[in-house]
Amino acid sequence: MRPAHPKEAAQKPTNFIEPARPQPSMSSREEPLSIPERDFILEALGQNLRLDGRQFDEYRPLNISFGEEYGHVKLQLGKTSIIVRISAEITKPFEDRPFDGSFNINMELSNMGSPAWENGRSNDLEPYVLEALDRIIRHSNALDTESLCILKGVSCWAIRADIHVIDFDGNITDAACIGVMAGLQHFRRPDSVVKDGRVIVYGLEQRVPCFNDSKQVIVDATRKEEQAAEGDLVIGINSAGDVCYISKHAGAPIDAMLIVTKTNLAWEKVKVLNAIVDKALQADLSKRADFGMADESRAANDRLIQPE
Amino acid sequence: MVSPILSQLNRPDGSAAYKCPATGYNILGAVNGPVELPARRDALKPEEATVEVFVKPGTTTAGVAERYVEGILRSVLGKVVLGREKGFPRRGVIITLAIAGGENMDRGDSYLTILPSLLHAALLSMISASVPLSMTFSAALFGVTKTGDIVRDPSPTAAKASVSLHVFAISSKGHLLLNESEGRFDFDTWELVHQRALSVCQGTASADGDVTMGEGAASASLHGLIREAVEDQIYSDYAYKLDSI
Repeated sequence: MRPAHPKEAAQKPTNFIEPARPQPSMSSREEPLSIPERDFILEALGQNLRLDGRQFDEYRPLNISFGEEYGHVKLQLGKTSIIVRISAEITKPFEDRPFDGSFNINMELSNMGSPAWENGRSNDLEPYVLEALDRIIRHSNALDTESLCILKGVSCWAIRADIHVIDFDGNITDAACIGVMAGLQHFRRPDSVVKDGRVIVYGLEQRVPCFNDSKQVIVDATRKEEQAAEGDLVIGINSAGDVCYISKHAGAPIDAMLIVTKTNLAWEKVKVLNAIVDKALQADLSKRADFGMADESRAANDRLIQPE
Repeated sequence: MVSPILSQLNRPDGSAAYKCPATGYNILGAVNGPVELPARRDALKPEEATVEVFVKPGTTTAGVAERYVEGILRSVLGKVVLGREKGFPRRGVIITLAIAGGENMDRGDSYLTILPSLLHAALLSMISASVPLSMTFSAALFGVTKTGDIVRDPSPTAAKASVSLHVFAISSKGHLLLNESEGRFDFDTWELVHQRALSVCQGTASADGDVTMGEGAASASLHGLIREAVEDQIYSDYAYKLDSI
């Protein structure tokens, strides 16, 4: 066989393997990082440094405050900032589940959070975050939908959480999850006439994503760190310490042992985050007590149930 | 009066949080502009900027009512933006307004109650984003009760009970920019409400003896409020010049 023409060989490389391309970041259509910037972040991480001087397992400062209405949460995680509003409405339950109310999480990314997001159009980030929130909060029955039933098959409460991302700097899954859980604990739906049917809000569930940069694993990545990341791992843990969600969405492979050690780290983080949310709720309660609204604000389950 | 907060967000080019003192609506506005729009829209306005408005309700998904109010806002703001300035033609100015707090509106409620707050938030965020504007304006809502009284900024419940609702936007020069009315009313009533709107927005004593509050006339009128915000913005924009003097 005659040797391949050099030009031909150049056109059809036989054993040419594409270099492993970094996983495109979840923040879709954001301006991509420049190669030097990306290398800078990764090299700094190699020397155990993060851009903002945090430790690998350190969160950005978390700030939670509540609005005047119940279930109105303003949450800031570093420069990421979201507003969560919980609302309730009476509807007819689904025919196949006459005992269940409904709980929905809604998030629309708008031009406000990031100029890269187009108004009225969804992008990759939206379903990804919603799926995680759905699995962690909705499917784990953090909110007992049966308690939302008012009259079997006739009426039930539909609870709705609206997440407004007003400033995006990475890690909205965490911010949204903490925000929705804090909102649910803060929210008091109007009492229905039927004796029982109170919103039961179980313990807090939170997730801690770990971003895996080949060797380094960091929590609470900023937007730039997310863009430089090769993969991510999401761990959801409830307040009892049970792992209720693990997602390895895409990107670089991850060592099984790493998941075990990171789960321990996540549990530590969940405890810290829970404490912050509790503190914020307490602060809000004492603020409301000044207006003589403490009774109204107390957890729904403690409400006066009049025996008949 | 709660002064609006400008430029509190990091990502958008400009932003403003405006809380209406009377109705309690809390609007968060963000403006990005000039931005490139997809090619298909270029044919629309070859020599001007395209103003896009997006209203995001607090606890529901956007629907017909939001599209309707977006249309009103777009027509007003489109006239105010100097879309022929250098760098603006064939580009977009995208205004996003989120209803961040305040009473929930039910489906079918009049959107006029929230319209002045939306207008103010949009204007202030454009100022924050340094979008060239031909003028500033202020807007006010009035309800006419069954007895014929004119109520300024009625609450949503009061608005439901009123016979007619009027929203006026008055420019800094005292011109009428926007007139949206709802309900039954006659020309005489409209004229009265118009006079009242002029006095509320510009801060002069009206015919029926309604005098502006207090001595600080600047903040008493709606326009004074906007002016103060503009002054603060310019002060911070030109801080480098002040420091070098």
